[in-house]
Amino acid sequence: MSKSFAVLPCNGLDKCAGCISREIALKLAEKSESEIICPVLYRVADARYNKIIQEKHLLVIDGCQTRCASKLASEKGLKVAQKITVTEEAKNRGVDIGEPLKPGEKELELVEMVAAALLKQPEVENAPESKAIFPEHFDYEVYKKDKFKFRVPKEGFYFNENDCWAYVSGKTARVGVGDYVQQSLSDIMFFTPPTVGTDVEQFGELGTVESGKAVFEVVSPVSGKVIAINEELSSAPELINMNPYEKAWIAEIELTDLESDKELLLDFEGYFKVLKRKVDEFHVK
Amino acid sequence: MSEMSEETFMGVPRDKIDWSPRIDYDKCNYCMECVEFCPHKVYEVRENEDKKLVVKNPDNCVVFCRACGKTCGVDALSFPDKGETTKKIKEIRKEM
Repeated sequence: MSKSFAVLPCNGLDKCAGCISREIALKLAEKSESEIICPVLYRVADARYNKIIQEKHLLVIDGCQTRCASKLASEKGLKVAQKITVTEEAKNRGVDIGEPLKPGEKELELVEMVAAALLKQPEVENAPESKAIFPEHFDYEVYKKDKFKFRVPKEGFYFNENDCWAYVSGKTARVGVGDYVQQSLSDIMFFTPPTVGTDVEQFGELGTVESGKAVFEVVSPVSGKVIAINEELSSAPELINMNPYEKAWIAEIELTDLESDKELLLDFEGYFKVLKRKVDEFHVK
Repeated sequence: MSEMSEETFMGVPRDKIDWSPRIDYDKCNYCMECVEFCPHKVYEVRENEDKKLVVKNPDNCVVFCRACGKTCGVDALSFPDKGETTKKIKEIRKEM
């Protein structure tokens, strides 16, 4: 049995990547039981699509980083099950998509590849059990500004100035984002995890979290190897809005050089100062 | 405004750290999404010039932040290598 989706493509007609998003949607509908949501009609008359959105996994296909389809999904409060961006897919496959609005040979090849990958059944993998032990709850200091509350855990955490944290247990660290990130993004609708097994440098990218407002790159506080990701976040990214320090950790990293990483990390005292300044200067006007 | 910039990053004077967006003018379509996004006044719009968008205050850019790049539909923004930048910052700290 093949997978099937409710497909919401950006269908941007004046850009190559947008036109490819449409071709991918058509290909999925042709090769599986997937159904297409026309973004233009959906915007003005969503009743037409409510049933398939409820019944099927929602796949959002953005052409480029303007993320029109994602923003539409966010406006409509949809639960996104999977998401791709055509320009990213092209880059990852080394395909140089050009200007033509009618897809040529290489564009169609890309469409085939992307559709096939989407329809492939995921291999059932048992995520390795984490051996490290992490507390479930922490004590927080709270900085309040208007209706917003910014928590910072008081003990045991390292932070970078990019509002990401690491909590170390033995040779492993859990990393995640802080309250400043989730408050700035507001309702988080999608989490792109890093790949298990890859190496990350300190300040390297550990996936992204995004809302209708923006995409935030998770900036790793530590260097090492990604040994686990928080699978729960893929189906429930809103956990990050509830509390980004506990259940909503992003990944576990096997540390390679914590001592050196620490040179560029802040403790509670240091980060709380940075956070207060940021909130006062930049948070939601 | 310079007084809004962070003066230091992890103890290193901000102006010693080369971290800010680079605009590829062959790709930029002046949609100004990045300008609207960035709260740090890194960019400046110059309506009457050929290059309608410039990086006016590179030192206002948050070190290791690439968020404006993720708003760019035409992928016209790039940033220095993170590993190299980290290495440099550590070197400067040692000299201090």
